[in-house]
Amino acid sequence: MQMTVTNTEKAVIISAGGRMDAVTAPQFDKRLETLIAEGATRIIIDFRDLEYISSAGLQTILANAKKLESLNGEILLAHLSGAVKEVFEISGFDTIFPIFDDEDAALASL
Amino acid sequence: MLTITSPASITNLEKLLTQVSDWLGSNGLTRRQTAKIELSLEEALVNVCRYAYHGGQGDVEVRCRITDGRDCLIEIIDSGIPFDACAHPAPELTACIADRKVGGLGVYLMRNMADQMTYRRENEKNILNLAFRTVPDRNDGAAASPQRP
Repeated sequence: MQMTVTNTEKAVIISAGGRMDAVTAPQFDKRLETLIAEGATRIIIDFRDLEYISSAGLQTILANAKKLESLNGEILLAHLSGAVKEVFEISGFDTIFPIFDDEDAALASL
Repeated sequence: MLTITSPASITNLEKLLTQVSDWLGSNGLTRRQTAKIELSLEEALVNVCRYAYHGGQGDVEVRCRITDGRDCLIEIIDSGIPFDACAHPAPELTACIADRKVGGLGVYLMRNMADQMTYRRENEKNILNLAFRTVPDRNDGAAASPQRP
């Protein structure tokens, strides 16, 4: 999977592309862990280029959201669509994470 | 029909999923249908790779076939410890982030993506069957009902 990190004044945006599955989710987890260790508390995950997510990806996002919550931080989601959005809805994750059309809307909420 | 036998290891996951997806595509399934099946299969295979052999070695077999009624049937077979995914409790879906358990979602996703999921233990093997309808039922609910195993 591809990952691109953009730092903004209010949050760190991490764009995920390709597949977030049992093989690749650990890479994403490490990247999030590093961002949090470096002091990021508000992380926007941009799913625009993500084609596929399985429970391994969901677990990674949830585990890091728990860490951030204990630091008074949060994970925000942007550009959820198609099959990825469907997985979020089935698992009920669409009700526990703030979801925005795009990263600008997510940033504006902070 | 496609039959693949492979060591049950996460390192083989991508190869297995690609083989099955390619086969489904060559049998006329749409990308959306294939993605749904692939997700269920990944969840099933990850369970086998992580838990069936208690960290030891063992094989997993995947059998795929398309029925005359255009149902896609996937069978996942392992010789590991008994595990009935059908009896696995559903996770708590409404808990907030702090209370939500990390894990337990794989079986739930698998069950939701498949139109039918059955399990049996036979000859010391776990046999999990996943069925996916690939043609929509007609509104009249008559002739278009796909065949069932």
